[in-house]
Amino acid sequence: MPTTVSHSAKRHTPRRNYPPKPERVYLFGTCLADALFPESGLDAIELLERQGVEVLFPQGQTCCGQPAYNSGYQEEAKAVARAQIAQFPLDIPIVVISGSCGGMMRHHYLDLFKDEPDLAVEAFCERIFEFTEFLSCVLKIELRDQGVPERVALHTSCAARREMDVHISGKALLDQLDQVELVEHAYASECCGFGGTFAVKHGDISGAMVQDKVKHLLATDAVRYVSADWGCMMNINGALEYRGAAFRGEHIASYLLRRTGGGEDQA
Amino acid sequence: MTADTIATDGSKYAASARQFRANVARDLADPALRENFRGAMDYLMEKRKQAFPSEEELESLRRKCQLIKQRCLLKLPELLEQLESKLVQNGIQVHWAETTAEANTIIAELIQRQNGTKVVKGKSMVSEETALNDHLQARGIECLETDMGEYIVQLAGEHPSHIIMPAIHQNKSQVAKLFAEHLPDFSLASETATDVDTLIQTGRQVLRDKFCQADVGITGVNFAVAETGTLCLVENEGNGRMTSTVPEMHIAITGIEKVVEFLDDVPPLLSLLTRSATGQIISTYFNMISHPRQPGEKDGPREVHLVLLDNGRSQAFADEELRQTLQCIRCGACMNHCPVYTRIGGHAYGTVYPGPIGKIVSPHMLGLEATKDLPTASSLCGACGEVCPVKIPIPKILLRLRQESVKPPGEPIVVKGQGCNRKPLEAGIWQLWRWLNTSPTLYRAVMWLASRGRWLTPKKAGAWTSVRTLPKPARRSLHELVKQREKHRGNR
Amino acid sequence: MSNAKANILAKLKKQLQGAERLELSAEPVAEPEVLNQTQNVETFVQLLSANHAEVLCITRDEIAATVKTQLQKRNIDRLMCGTPWVETLQAIESEITLNTFYPVIDGHKEALFNTVPAAITGSHCGIAATGSIVLWPTPEEPRTLSLVPPVHIVVVERNAICNDLATAMKTQAWKAQLPTNVVLVSGPSKTADIQQTLAYGAHGPRELVVLLIGHSK
Repeated sequence: MPTTVSHSAKRHTPRRNYPPKPERVYLFGTCLADALFPESGLDAIELLERQGVEVLFPQGQTCCGQPAYNSGYQEEAKAVARAQIAQFPLDIPIVVISGSCGGMMRHHYLDLFKDEPDLAVEAFCERIFEFTEFLSCVLKIELRDQGVPERVALHTSCAARREMDVHISGKALLDQLDQVELVEHAYASECCGFGGTFAVKHGDISGAMVQDKVKHLLATDAVRYVSADWGCMMNINGALEYRGAAFRGEHIASYLLRRTGGGEDQA
Repeated sequence: MTADTIATDGSKYAASARQFRANVARDLADPALRENFRGAMDYLMEKRKQAFPSEEELESLRRKCQLIKQRCLLKLPELLEQLESKLVQNGIQVHWAETTAEANTIIAELIQRQNGTKVVKGKSMVSEETALNDHLQARGIECLETDMGEYIVQLAGEHPSHIIMPAIHQNKSQVAKLFAEHLPDFSLASETATDVDTLIQTGRQVLRDKFCQADVGITGVNFAVAETGTLCLVENEGNGRMTSTVPEMHIAITGIEKVVEFLDDVPPLLSLLTRSATGQIISTYFNMISHPRQPGEKDGPREVHLVLLDNGRSQAFADEELRQTLQCIRCGACMNHCPVYTRIGGHAYGTVYPGPIGKIVSPHMLGLEATKDLPTASSLCGACGEVCPVKIPIPKILLRLRQESVKPPGEPIVVKGQGCNRKPLEAGIWQLWRWLNTSPTLYRAVMWLASRGRWLTPKKAGAWTSVRTLPKPARRSLHELVKQREKHRGNR
Repeated sequence: MSNAKANILAKLKKQLQGAERLELSAEPVAEPEVLNQTQNVETFVQLLSANHAEVLCITRDEIAATVKTQLQKRNIDRLMCGTPWVETLQAIESEITLNTFYPVIDGHKEALFNTVPAAITGSHCGIAATGSIVLWPTPEEPRTLSLVPPVHIVVVERNAICNDLATAMKTQAWKAQLPTNVVLVSGPSKTADIQQTLAYGAHGPRELVVLLIGHSK
């Protein structure tokens, strides 16, 4: 039985063995990035290709299934999850540009399919890597910062933090940018209030949480924040825009590409 | 209202739990509440952090305590029988209650048998669960809380808002005002009126007399040891000792899940409990009660009783995943770390147990229908599960309860009230969503439509747009952009 | 109601029936650090002091004089003591009125609550890891003696300080012989229930004076 994380594990050391750098990977774009923020997907592909990794993007991919899973609709979630598994048949890593989708596919698929051993879902889950995790721990990427000096804050989604250690890999990547200083905002590890359907079903509580998150980010002297999760970013950026603040968050894939002199190859 | 017309069995909580949404709206808008809770939670989180300097030791101890509780739960019926047998052997009488009403009846009868009219209570969340005070008061029995926080809350006619620090929602000025209102000898005019020391000494004086005069003392139990027939109580104030030592009769009430197998199980659980709750290495007093007054002894209650309460715990027990809920040792760490609890406070839940543990245990006690808004009132951030000393996977259980709450009718009953959140419209939407996401061509078509029709994105969309803007679909989806990129490259 | 026990147990047993007994993993050994006796005594004193107990390291011969000083410091001129202490304290009887506990507490509660300013007891042992004193009340030293009077003086022997609770339980075979009541006392009574502000003297003794006796000073 592979290591399953429950939300109760707290770690500071990597919990998995990382494979050597592969020749090819799949990219899982996530439905949010697909519909709303596709540039970050392209930027992620670009960054990976610059490291000499070929990126395959199955056109049949859709959604990881988490929205239904989180709403208690297991059968629907399972159907969609099965469909995703079928889209990534080659035994190569699947890089996911979101910590919460990554966590869903790496850990929660095991729960979803625990009664279906024939699906061999463990093997699939072993191939899932969150984007910053992949860059930092598998590619062991070396980044050369070509941007101007600036201070940024890092927002890590709760799932990314607690299921995929992204607060560590994300920070490791930003630490490599020698012109970038990372500032920690107050209550950095507290939830921004997105929680998927939570933001809709309990909008007032969610609203209170995002307003506090925005307050804490704005209280730093960072010029922007960086994050690896579009769910959080949609939430926080939306709240920032609503109050007319110029401060915004950028997806870490786009940020890293920009800082390392990339981005000319946009479609 | 007479004793016959009001229900004095805790069923009032079903009604207050149903008010969750209204309560939340009210409390989110209360700046004093928000400030009190933010300060209190920050304090408790920091205390806990300082008490666990070694992460390795913490994780090892958590794992150990998780396994201890799981072992005890797997043997629960056998341990309960052993506990009863040992307690009885020791001279302690044991009573069983399936429901809160039964528990109250048992306790009231024991008191009335003594012609008792004055009861002092040590802290017991289980007695809140049964609304014991209501029941006794309706029968003319004075039932006074003696834990300082509980005493304050009782004076205010409120309920505890936190399972460890009941008056956490009040600051010292509010307490001083309360004392001035209810205690004839307390005056706000005095310079030291709002000093915490003054307030505590005031409480001490009032309650000291009560301990002396009481006929019966009622407490909870933190651990009930089956091996030795021993009831263990954790406290700092000394009211637990007073309540269980001074009056002629001591009645302890607890949930059936509190039994532990061996005396040796106690030290690790105790160590985790006090450190997780308040950051203390140990509470000021740790009591271990094994007998009533023995021949030759000069003090102590002549009769000691234990009431074991089910009230829905056996429902949680019946399901292997939900059984983990019963591992709880009532430390409160989950709520201390919860971003939702911190903002809405303990009263908003309307349940006896608030916070994350409250969300997963209340459905068993009150039914899922009355608590239907609780499982979704979480962003599943996982902070609670991360600090739970017995590693209850709270977010996972919340997901499970969400699943139960939308179950179609006709399924075997796992949780009473299951299916209460099932709405044909929502179920239909998820069917649609499933169809969309398992049909790649359809999915890409919908994405195309969304991107081309992006100018139709509404400005207002319910609660989301009351504090945020709504993003518009991108001009081209990622699928499209990747395709274009590949084509572009192919043409080079 | 008499069916409650049967119903509850039947429900619980039914759920476990047929389910394979889950093989639970071995529980990790998670034991507190074991320190040597000197370190243990130091930790014991440190933790109690941090919890606002007054700890005095003295010799057995100094008990009577120390008790007198501590009481007079607090303007107290009478002391209730467990019977084992009468002989030891005879030396100060002229200045401090000594009373032993009542034949039984019944009928004397008010007197105990209102007229006894201080009491002295011995102890069963000490626990270093948590800074706790184990009280093991007996007919000679009843439970309320260490609870009701606002000042509690307790005598602890240095070499009766154990490393931690689990060790004490094992080496002293507690499970074979638990008395009516065991109390671990780790300081004077306190609470932080009001605005998380620590205040001492809630319901138990307001002051705890620990006389730590033994060979080294």
